[in-house]
Amino acid sequence: MFRIALKDLFARKRRLVTTGIAVVLGIAFLTGTQLLSVTLSDSIKSLVGDVYSGFDSVVRSPRTQETPFGQPIRTLVPDSLVDEVAGVDGVRAAAGVVESPGPQVVGDDGKVLGGGFGPPTLVYNWIDDDALRIGVLRDGRAPGADTEVVIDFRTAETLGKQLGDQVDIATTQDGVRAYTLVGISGLGDDGSQSTGARPLLFTTAEAQRLVNQPDQFNYVVAGATDGETQDQLAGRLSQALPEWQVLTGAAFTAESQEQISQFVGILEIFVSVFGWVALFVAIFIIYNTFSIIITQRTRETALLRAVGATRRQVVVATLVEAVVVGLIAAVLGLLAGLALAALLLVLLSGFFTIASTTPGLTPGVVLLAVGIGVGVTVLSAVIPAIRSSKIPPVAAIGEVSLDRSGISTSRKVWGALLIIGGIALIGTGLAQVGPNPLFQVGGGAVAILISVAVILGPLLAAPVSRVLSAPFAAGGRVAGRLAGENAARSPKRTAATAAALTIGVTLVTLIAVVASSIKASADDAINQSVRADFVVATASLTSFGAIPPGSAEAIRDTPGVAEVSPVRFTLLRLLDPVGVAEASSTPTTTVPAGQLGAPPDAPVGQDDFALGIDPATWFDVVDAGELQGSPADLVAGTMAVDRKYASDRGWRLGDRIPVYFVATGVQQIEVAVIYDQPLGQAGIWLPLSTFEPNTLPLFNVDNQIFVTTEPGADTAQVQRDLDARFADLPTVQVQDLQEYVESQTGPINVFLGIVYGLLGLAIVIALIGIANTLSLSVLERTRELGLLRAVGMTQRQLKRTIRIEAGIIAIFGTLMGLVIGILFAIALTVAIAADNPGVLQFRLPVVQLLVIVVVAAGAGVVAALLPARRAARMDVLEAVSST
Amino acid sequence: MSTSTDPTATTGAAGALEAVKVYGEGDTEVRALDGVSVSFDRGRFTAIMGPSGSGKSTLMHCLAGLDRLSSGRVFIGDTFLDELNDARLTELRRDKVGFVFQAFNLIPTLSAAENITLPMDLAGRKPDQGWMDQIIGIVGLADRLSHRPSELSGGQQQRVAVARALASRPEIVFADEPTGNLDSRSGQEVLGFMRYAVSDLGQTIVMVTHDPNAAAYADRVVFLADGRIVDQMDQPNAERIIDSMKRLGS
Repeated sequence: MFRIALKDLFARKRRLVTTGIAVVLGIAFLTGTQLLSVTLSDSIKSLVGDVYSGFDSVVRSPRTQETPFGQPIRTLVPDSLVDEVAGVDGVRAAAGVVESPGPQVVGDDGKVLGGGFGPPTLVYNWIDDDALRIGVLRDGRAPGADTEVVIDFRTAETLGKQLGDQVDIATTQDGVRAYTLVGISGLGDDGSQSTGARPLLFTTAEAQRLVNQPDQFNYVVAGATDGETQDQLAGRLSQALPEWQVLTGAAFTAESQEQISQFVGILEIFVSVFGWVALFVAIFIIYNTFSIIITQRTRETALLRAVGATRRQVVVATLVEAVVVGLIAAVLGLLAGLALAALLLVLLSGFFTIASTTPGLTPGVVLLAVGIGVGVTVLSAVIPAIRSSKIPPVAAIGEVSLDRSGISTSRKVWGALLIIGGIALIGTGLAQVGPNPLFQVGGGAVAILISVAVILGPLLAAPVSRVLSAPFAAGGRVAGRLAGENAARSPKRTAATAAALTIGVTLVTLIAVVASSIKASADDAINQSVRADFVVATASLTSFGAIPPGSAEAIRDTPGVAEVSPVRFTLLRLLDPVGVAEASSTPTTTVPAGQLGAPPDAPVGQDDFALGIDPATWFDVVDAGELQGSPADLVAGTMAVDRKYASDRGWRLGDRIPVYFVATGVQQIEVAVIYDQPLGQAGIWLPLSTFEPNTLPLFNVDNQIFVTTEPGADTAQVQRDLDARFADLPTVQVQDLQEYVESQTGPINVFLGIVYGLLGLAIVIALIGIANTLSLSVLERTRELGLLRAVGMTQRQLKRTIRIEAGIIAIFGTLMGLVIGILFAIALTVAIAADNPGVLQFRLPVVQLLVIVVVAAGAGVVAALLPARRAARMDVLEAVSST
Repeated sequence: MSTSTDPTATTGAAGALEAVKVYGEGDTEVRALDGVSVSFDRGRFTAIMGPSGSGKSTLMHCLAGLDRLSSGRVFIGDTFLDELNDARLTELRRDKVGFVFQAFNLIPTLSAAENITLPMDLAGRKPDQGWMDQIIGIVGLADRLSHRPSELSGGQQQRVAVARALASRPEIVFADEPTGNLDSRSGQEVLGFMRYAVSDLGQTIVMVTHDPNAAAYADRVVFLADGRIVDQMDQPNAERIIDSMKRLGS
C-alpha cells in the first residue's frame, strides 16, 4: 500500500508541486524569521558584549521609570560620584559616562541624518582611559576643545567627511553648529564594527551641556586593579556606596543584551504572525487539493478496495502521500527560509556589523519546519483521507462524478456552532470577560474564518457565482455563462478555494478600516480640540527635545501672534488603588545576578503619560470642553484630569493622588481641574509648576508649542516669520493644523505599509490555491472541454471562460473577506469606543477597499493564466475519446 | 492543388484523398489509414463500418477536423482542412460540422436548450427560431428544454445531441457510434431522426458504427479493414451487411 501511494504520488509530480507551494511559503516565512532573529540577536549581543568589555563595574542610580520603548529611564548621578568611586579600594580607574540622545548630525542637504525609525544618534563624552571608553579611536585624536567632535566611521563615510572637516550638528542650545572633526571611532578590537547607532563624542563639558545635564553623568564606570575580580570590586563598591546601584560589568552587559533580545523577540513574533497566517491559508488549499484528488481517484480507490484493500489501508495511503508532500515542502521551505534570512542579513549588514551573513541552522528550526510542514499537511488531508475510505468497491465500474452533494446536516451543525462560538468568543473577548481576552478574540476570528469554508461559503457560492457571472453572460455570451455555472457547480470546492483568499482580505480590510478610523478620529479630535493656528514641533520622534529653550518667548514677539503655549511630555507612575491593582497583575522585574547595592526605588504602580502645560495660556489654544475647577487653580502640586479618566479611577475634584516621579519620588498631586474633552492619549495635564520640579532634564524641554494668531492677522506672513525663526534648526518644524494632523498620524502609514506587504504573502498563497484548484478542475473536465472544443469553442473563448471563473472565485472570496473584515472592524471599534468614548470612530476607507477588490479580482485572473493555457492546449481528440 | 482536379473534390459534401495516418515509428508503427480515398455525397446518409482497429474512427476524426492526417487530404465542402490552423479549424467545426458522440455529448452545466444552441452561441449568432422549433419538434423535446442533462434519460440526451448537430444547418454531421450506449428502442428513435434529417431535410450524415442494424438506416455503407476501404454497398439491409462482414472476416 505504501508503494502504491508513493508511486501514484511521483507519477503526478506537478500535483505535488502545487500542493506543496503553500506549505513551502508558510514554512519559509516562519523559519526565515527565526533564523534571522537568532543570527541577528547573536550578532548584536556579541557587539554589545564587545562595547562594554572594558567595564568591570557600573555605579548608577537605583531610581528608574519604565518606558514603553524598552530601556527604562534612570536618574543621573552627580560629578562628585566619580571621585568617590575612584577612592574605593580595588579601583584602577573611574569615569563618568554621558550617554544621551539629543543633538543630531546634519547632512550637506541641510537635513537631519537618519530621522525616523533608524538606530539612534547618541552623545557620549570622551573618556581618556581606553578600557572605559566606548569604542576605539581608528584615526585622529581625542576632542581637546568644546568645538571638536569624534564620530564613527560609518557616519563619516555617509557624510563624506575627512579629519579636519567641519561637521554640522543641530543642537537646542545653539541651533546648527559646526564642529571640527578630529577623530574617527569604531567598535571592536580594531574599530571596524558598528551597531548602527551613531555615537558623537565630545569633551565631557560639551557633552553635558549639549544634553542638558550639567555636572551630571548617566552612570559611572570603573576598571579594576590587577587581580581584582568583577564580583570583588562590585562588592567593595556596594559597601562603600550603599545609596547607589552597583553592577558587575558582566551583569551590565547581560542587561543590555537582554533588552536587545527582547526587542528582536518582539520583532520576531510580529513577523512570524504572518507566517502563521500563511500556514492557516495553506491548510485550506491543501485540504481542497486532496479533496479534489481523491474525487478524481474514485475509480482507482474503488478498484483497490475491490481487489482487497481495507479501508484502513486506503486512509493510510492518502496520509502517506500527505507526509511525503509535507516533508518535501518542509525541506524546500527551510531552504527558502535560509535564503530569505541570508538575503535580509546581507541587506542589514549595510547598516551595522553582522558577525556572519550565513544564518546558523539550529536543530530547533529544522524540527520546527519538519514538524509544522508535515503536521499541517497531514491535518489538512485527514478529512479527505477518511472520505476516500468510504468509496465503495462498486464505484470502480460506475461513472466518475463530481462531488455535487448538498450541504450535509452535520456540516450545517458544525458551521452554525463555529459561527455562534466565534461570535461568543469575540464578544466576551472584546468585553474583557474571560481568562484571556486576546486569545478569545483571535480564536473567535479563526472560528468565523473557518466557518466561511465550512458553511457560509458553500451556501453562498452558487447564487453569488451566478450573480457575478451575469455581466459576462449578458447578450448570450457562452463563456460568461459557462464560467458562472462552473463556479456554481461545486459550491464546496469554490467556497474552500475562495476561503483562502477571504482570510487575507479579511485581515487587510480589518487593518485598513481600523487605521482609517484611527486617523479620522485623530483628525477630528485635533480639529475639534485644537484652537491653535500653528504648532511648532520636532521633525521626528528621534529629535525629541530639539526645540531650544526660550523658543516660546521668541515666538511671542512675532508680529500677529496672539497666544503661545508650550507643551511638555513625561512618564509617571500612578500609585492610586486602580494603578497598584493594574500593576500587580503584571509580573515585576527581578533583580538580576550581579546587581548589588540599593534595590530599585520605584514602588509598584501603573505607568502612564502626562503633558506639561502652561495653565495661563493652554486653555486658549485648546478647547478642553467644560471645566470643573478653574485654570487658575492649577498651581504647583496640582493637575488637570480628563473626566472619563477621572471617573474610571474614582478621582474627584480635590482628591490627592500619590504619583511617583523618577526625579523626585512619590508626591501627592491634587486634582484641581477636570476637563471634558481629551487631546490625544494623555489623560493627565500637569501645570509647568508641577511638571518642572518633578521631571528629569531630558523631559524638561518644550515638545510642542501651540500658537494662535491675532484676529485679522496675515497668517501666511506669520508662518513665514515663524519658519524664518527656526530656519537654522532642521529638527524643528512649523506646522499648520493640517500638517500637524498628518505628523500625528504619519507613523500609522509606515506601519500599514509593512503590514500590507506581509499580508500580501497570504494573498499570494491564496492565489496559488485558485490556480491549483482550477488546474485540477480543468483536468477533471477534460471530456467536457474536449466536447466544447469539438463543437466549436475557440482557444480564446476557452481561456476566457477559465479566466472569468477565476475572477468570480476571487471576487467571491474578496467580497466575503471584505464583509467579515468590516464586521470585525465594527466590533473592534464599538468595543474600544464603549471603553473610551470619542477615542475611535468608525470610518470606511471606501477608495482603499475598492482598490482591494479590484486588485484581488485582477490577481485571480492572473492566477488563471496557466490553467487556462493548459486547458486551451489540450488535444481535442484525446479529450473526446478518453473514457 | 493537383488533387483538385479529382472529380470527388467538387461533388462531395466531404471526403478524403489518399488519406494516410500513421501512429508511432519504426517497429511500433501502425498505419491506421493506409491511403483512403472516399467521398460523401450531399444529402445522403453514409455508414462507415469495420472491425475494431480498422481505422473507421480515425477516418471520421480526420474528416471532422478533430485530428490531422500524416499525408493526403481531407475536405469539407470546398475547404481543404489540412490548410487550416487551429483557430480556423475550430470555426469550421463550429459552423460547418455537427457532432454526435457515443456518450458525454452534452455540457452538464447547460440546459437542453442551451446545449442545442451552443455552437451558434459560441459563434455569437442568433439561432433561426423557426428552424429551432422544427428540429425540437422532430426530436420531441419541447417539454424538456429547461432540463439539465443529468435530468434526462440516455435516449433523451442523444436526441438533444442530434438536435444540436442539426441546429446550425451544418454542411455535414458526423456521428460516432451514436447508439452505442442506448437500449434498442431509444437507439431506433435516434436513428429514425437521423434518417428523417437526411430524407426530409436534405442533411448529409456520416456515421461510424459496428452495428449492422444501425448501418441499415444508411443509404450507403463503406467497409474499412486495416486502414483501407475494402467494400461498399448501396441501399443496404441488415442481412446483406452481415453477409458482407462475414466475407471480410474470413
